[in-house]
Amino acid sequence: MPFELTDTHTCADIGLIATGNSLIELFSDSAFGLTSVMVELNDVSDSRIIPIEIYGDDLENLFYHWLSEIIYLKDAEHFLLKNCVIELDEQNFVIKGKLTGDTIDSNRHILKIDVKAVTYYKFKVEKIGLVWRGEVVFDL
Amino acid sequence: MKKDRFKRISPNIWEIPTDFKQGMRVPARILSSEELIDGIDDKVIDQITNVACLSGIKKYALCMPDGHCGYGFPIGGVAGFSKNDGIISPGGIGFDINCGMRLLRTDLTFDEIKPKMELLLNKLFLTIPSGVGSSGFLKLNKGQFTDIMEKGADWCLESGYATSNDIEHIEDHGRISHADHTTVSEKAISRGINQMGTLGSGNHYLEVEIAHPEGIYNRDIAKVFGIDRDNQVIVAIHCGSRGFGHQIATDYLEVFDKCSKKYDLVVRDKELMSAPIKSDEGQRYFRAMACAANAAFVNRQLITFGIRKVFSEVFGKNVHELGVETIYDVAHNIAKMEKYEIGGREEELLIHRKGATRSFGPGRPEIPKDYQLVGQPVIVGGSMETGSALLCGAKQADEETFGSTLHGAGRTMSRMQAKRTARGESIRQKMKDDGIMVKTGYMPGLAEEAAFAYKDIDSVVSAVHSIGISKKVARFKPVLNIKG
Repeated sequence: MPFELTDTHTCADIGLIATGNSLIELFSDSAFGLTSVMVELNDVSDSRIIPIEIYGDDLENLFYHWLSEIIYLKDAEHFLLKNCVIELDEQNFVIKGKLTGDTIDSNRHILKIDVKAVTYYKFKVEKIGLVWRGEVVFDL
Repeated sequence: MKKDRFKRISPNIWEIPTDFKQGMRVPARILSSEELIDGIDDKVIDQITNVACLSGIKKYALCMPDGHCGYGFPIGGVAGFSKNDGIISPGGIGFDINCGMRLLRTDLTFDEIKPKMELLLNKLFLTIPSGVGSSGFLKLNKGQFTDIMEKGADWCLESGYATSNDIEHIEDHGRISHADHTTVSEKAISRGINQMGTLGSGNHYLEVEIAHPEGIYNRDIAKVFGIDRDNQVIVAIHCGSRGFGHQIATDYLEVFDKCSKKYDLVVRDKELMSAPIKSDEGQRYFRAMACAANAAFVNRQLITFGIRKVFSEVFGKNVHELGVETIYDVAHNIAKMEKYEIGGREEELLIHRKGATRSFGPGRPEIPKDYQLVGQPVIVGGSMETGSALLCGAKQADEETFGSTLHGAGRTMSRMQAKRTARGESIRQKMKDDGIMVKTGYMPGLAEEAAFAYKDIDSVVSAVHSIGISKKVARFKPVLNIKG
């Protein structure tokens, strides 16, 4: 499982632990994990494309902005993520690429629980051996 | 025994002295009954003692009886910071700025709604949008949304969605005057502009409840609040500022991340990031937070408008004939400038309430004219199986808790654990057996909000009643619930 939802940190909300062989894998899997809190992933189509360009001050800040963008797009664009094709500049902390996904439709989607925000609680991005690992708690 | 680590100040107040943790500027105080104190999570103790370390904190860092683990502050956390050398922290307010509750009274009784319960539930579910990504019935332009940010519920009055009686019965009359739209990002506006009049999800809900005679603790005060007949129908609304407020909190946490270094502030938890109240960053957040608070008041007012429309359609009478009036609307997540006596001197403090309710007693100019003799209504949300409680504010709260009290039952079990414990369908059936019809877009979510995942609301309410910071008025039993 590239991501796992956890409840060890706070009782009101939900945690996510994701791993990847590359930063792109980690970032992608974390975004799918986040989306899986809000909707049953299997029902999400890839009928829409949204170009993105996200900047950070450092790697953790970029990770924070990346996940926050997924939440933002859910509210502002009614967009649910299906897939992402991104490039990640590890030197300048920039993500460029496109997200594919679907427009929220309560008739087609099993909508679960809204994620309000990415918190800094237990927030971490680290490389353990050859594997990148991210940990984050979402406010519900 | 956990309580052995605390100094017992009174039967329901437990103090953690400043030598508990290095850097504590004031003691921490946990308000709790003896039976609940041993169940207090260690993380809550860690969080409230971290709050006690923040710059400019006065008297005590307080945790209400419904306290549970949050980010930065625990949920149920209250603290007052000096206007001169204190801080403001988004972690002391929460991501859902002005998440709060509104209670509506009606002239209807349980017997009158019984034949139309299913119709009422279905129409409420269709009219009040809830769940992930839902949009409200209003298509607002940016100019209108700017007015919502700065005028709050007054915008609803001007636009025909509120009555002057509603405005009188909202905390701060539904308009926090220092709101300034220039402090709010375009992203926050984009997230919130389509969401006014929606419930959201998680623990947000809309509930039709009954004021049974055995649940009325103080008949005289209940009457002042408009609860004046047996088995009266009450409506409870629990929601906040939606994506707009969540984005403002997200934006400013990042701004404040840089402030700790700039202003040499010691931060023990990244979620307690803060800025001096007097700093430019602190002032900007204070104004942006007020925009979100105003939007939350508008959100609950527009939901009220929708509820009135539904009641009118279902019962074939206009809202005046049905007596659907706002009892009160309170903020549970907010920071406000208030004056308190500190060491014999009156001082202006920025009171942070995160999962806590203002509890002003009789005679305060801030509370509605018709409640002057009894104090403000304090609305406490229970789990969807137990219903809400109504209390009134008391002067004692000014001395003990910076005019604050509890806000809910308080969660004790994680959402995932709750889902492992019971299935949503079995909770729905159990609620049906108990006379509660529930509707939701996501059935497993019912298990997450089941009564077993929360503290006993009567126990936490009794604790604040015994301390005297607010007084029991009534308990309502739910009959219809829309879970967001």
